[in-house]
Amino acid sequence: MSYCANCGVELDDGLNSCPLCSYNSANDQKSEATEQSELYPSDIILLYKKETRRHIWELSGIISFSGIAVCTIVDLVIKKSLTWSLYADTSIFASWIFLTLILLAFRKYFIIIPGFLFTVLSSLFLFNLFTPPINWFYGIGLPMTLALFACVIIMTILWKVAHFKGFNILAFSFIILSAFCMVSEAFIDKFLRNSVDLKWSAIVAISVLPVALVLLFVHYRMHRGKRLDSYFHV
Amino acid sequence: MKGKGNNTKSIQEIGWLKLDNAAKLFPAIMTGELTAVFRITASLKKPVRFSIIREAAEITSKRFPYFSVSLGSGLFWHYLEFNNKLPRIQTEDKTPCTAFAAHRRNEPLYRILVRQNRISVEFFHILTDGGGALEYLKSLLLTYFRLAGNEFTSTEGIMSPETAITEEEMEDGYKRFFRKETPPPGKLTKAWHLPYNLNEKPRLKVIRSEIDLCRILEVARNNNVTLTEYIVSVYLFTLQKIYLEEKAKVKKLKRGVLRIEVPVNMRKKLPSKTMRNFSLFVLPEIDLRLGEYSFEEILKIVNYQIQTGADLKQIGRFLSQNVGHEHSFLVRILPLFIKSMAISAVYRRLGTNQCSGIISNLGSIKLPDEISELIESFELVPTPPNTHVKISSAMVSFRDKLHLIFSNVSNSTNFEMHFFKFLTEKGIPVKIVNYK
Repeated sequence: MSYCANCGVELDDGLNSCPLCSYNSANDQKSEATEQSELYPSDIILLYKKETRRHIWELSGIISFSGIAVCTIVDLVIKKSLTWSLYADTSIFASWIFLTLILLAFRKYFIIIPGFLFTVLSSLFLFNLFTPPINWFYGIGLPMTLALFACVIIMTILWKVAHFKGFNILAFSFIILSAFCMVSEAFIDKFLRNSVDLKWSAIVAISVLPVALVLLFVHYRMHRGKRLDSYFHV
Repeated sequence: MKGKGNNTKSIQEIGWLKLDNAAKLFPAIMTGELTAVFRITASLKKPVRFSIIREAAEITSKRFPYFSVSLGSGLFWHYLEFNNKLPRIQTEDKTPCTAFAAHRRNEPLYRILVRQNRISVEFFHILTDGGGALEYLKSLLLTYFRLAGNEFTSTEGIMSPETAITEEEMEDGYKRFFRKETPPPGKLTKAWHLPYNLNEKPRLKVIRSEIDLCRILEVARNNNVTLTEYIVSVYLFTLQKIYLEEKAKVKKLKRGVLRIEVPVNMRKKLPSKTMRNFSLFVLPEIDLRLGEYSFEEILKIVNYQIQTGADLKQIGRFLSQNVGHEHSFLVRILPLFIKSMAISAVYRRLGTNQCSGIISNLGSIKLPDEISELIESFELVPTPPNTHVKISSAMVSFRDKLHLIFSNVSNSTNFEMHFFKFLTEKGIPVKIVNYK
């Protein structure tokens, strides 16, 4: 039977130091871990994970910038000017920004999602600059990227909100996919012909939406098997 | 009182139950961390025989059919759907009170956990409170001991499987004793919260203690207070100590009220035998804006506040407030998803701000001597506290021991250290229990 000399509590068998104050009765002094810092094991694990992410980020930086340098030099040596390497360099740099956001803004989605959006739009803008004279960025690149991000965000919210995940998720993704197809066709039409005439996206919607409705019905009515009196009680 | 057979049939006929008033909160606020699950454990004198516990669970669960339900979502309210499923029997995990997949179809909302000599039951608070869960555990233990070959001359105070199921066990006690004309209680000021950072997920850490019941009762009686009042006073005194330490560092603290939520088992105050939730609470407090309190002053204040607060007329005002909201036509016709969002927002804004700590006292467990001799101890692990309150505690006494448990989601055990240090300084032996 041992007692904590600091708190005065009796310690159960197998407890070498007090779980309340970390006082080590065996050594009659505060355990080393507490002497050195006030860190708890969870804090140490957190720090360790953060450090590992930082190391991966540094390594990815070295690999990415080496890749950019190699592409640029090879292009300059062979073609005597910057041609294909502009695309390769932009893509490698954008990928490194994605990785940076994931590693350094870990789980901070309010930073990661706008960061992703900005990086994709910047890359497309640069690609557009490299391919004159057609200016496709404002007509197609920008609206379609925004539509794609909106779809992904809506889908993520629905996934989070849905308590019971099954056919409903499949139905939601069908509906969102057909909406994205319609938006895409509208912007492509507007860009190419300066008028909107939905054809293939309408066929996609007509084929997919009834399937989505059946899936929703199966999920919320048949599969859950709700009783009407319990379902509608006020 | 109807016969068992008739009632079982009628339960199957009904098929579903409305949630009681307290339960309505939990589906809206529950998360993977704020699980609204609590545990009661019985440590036996001999290791548990797994083969017997399965059979015991099967027999006992038939006696408590209203627990064999799963959560359903209606257009306006959640409800409990009978599923006739047995609880899962699992090995006791290191992290207690983990969440139930309540929104999964036919998912049981309570479980039985076994390890070495311990039998535990974990209940989602939507089903029942500590009082109801304890009745289930007592019945389970009785069945287990019988199957293990023991015979008892008396089973007084235990709902044994052969007793009849009454409709009263399924009733909504809040609704039965609600009086429309009772005015609701006054508005509460915001309470101060412990300043610690949160633990990394899974956040919950539990500290178990065993206290000499005779000694602590003697000390409480010498101070002319009950055991609950004494523990609440120590809790407030410890909070005050940490508050003053913090004030010395920060200088300006926004809130100065320290308030503890103490649940009261309403079955002891009103003639109800319900096995569903039927607890209300008293809220003893000290206001540090008026100055520092000595421990004796806190004892006096807590004694007065608990005695007056637990008075039936006074506590009935909380019942009136809670059930009153539910009766509002506007609230009733709101679609469930809006209602859930509103409940969650109100809980985050008001519910988490009302108190600085929680102490549940399950009381003293009395069993026939023949059964008591087979049991070492009982303990209650409270529902994980929210991230504002950070620490909740629960206690239960059995024979000559009081088991007091702290559930903590912060990364500091400073509060518990001060709390137990105070008790040992008062000459009350405390043992910190370590589960292997």
